Amino acid sequence: MLPKLDPLLHSELRLAVMSILAGVEDADFTYLKKQTGATSGNLSVQIDKLSAAGYITVDKGFKGKVPCTTCKITPAGLDAFEKYVNALKEYISANK
Amino acid sequence: MENIEQKNEMTAQQSLNIISEMINDSRRTILQSSAKHFMLWGSLLIFVSLVVYWLWQSSGSPVWNVVWFVMPALGFPIVRILDRKDSDIPQSKVNMNIGLIWLTYCIFAVCISVIAMLWVPMNLTLVLVVIFGFAQCVSGFILKNWTIIVSGFILGIGGAVAASLLFGAEQLLIFTIGGIMLVVTGLIIKSQYK
Repeated sequence: MLPKLDPLLHSELRLAVMSILAGVEDADFTYLKKQTGATSGNLSVQIDKLSAAGYITVDKGFKGKVPCTTCKITPAGLDAFEKYVNALKEYISANK
Repeated sequence: MENIEQKNEMTAQQSLNIISEMINDSRRTILQSSAKHFMLWGSLLIFVSLVVYWLWQSSGSPVWNVVWFVMPALGFPIVRILDRKDSDIPQSKVNMNIGLIWLTYCIFAVCISVIAMLWVPMNLTLVLVVIFGFAQCVSGFILKNWTIIVSGFILGIGGAVAASLLFGAEQLLIFTIGGIMLVVTGLIIKSQYK
């Protein structure tokens, strides 16, 4: 039986955010927005969902005088991401 | 990159495509930014080595080696300015490790130079060029680029031989070649992650 895909990660924007955060120490909102091409409002909503699930931490601070929101993947988020990727591989090999 | 808005209907293949696209795009952006550092330090190395070479040749005095200390004094503030421009670009393990390798090289180079100049005379060029080649080589392994790995080996080992055969100001030209290699490394990274 194929594993169930994590519904929180099985959406384009949240998956894109998690994929970026999995490869970096942390990333600020501007960078995530630029890389995903999403709107600020939508990105903000999805970041909140990932944060509420404990997959990422969100730190609101300042870079000089400019407000800056920094996101960082948590160990639980990384674990969920790895499980999701492994599940995807199983789905693909089952369809071959 | 196309806008990614909220879609829940995805096949497994589409999901994997998003993951690989995001990881590759992010890696490209980050490494493109670190290429600038290689080109900056390479250019500085070429410039300072040629200035010291010219001053040493024309005066006949090795005291002009003191000009080497201009390099970190000039380089680090420029790096800060460059990094401020790219302040939204995050640190990945790859560029963080490369940065640490070269920072360690810089600390070693400054400490050994001070010791050699003040207390224990040694073939400083030989020591510096070997660790330079080593740092270049390890950077190549991290970037998974054989051109950079091989250039590091050639510079480290060839440079050690050259440093034993050449004397005086001529040894400085080994660093000019090292600087050229750093600039080329930056250009390779830029083209590899275009």
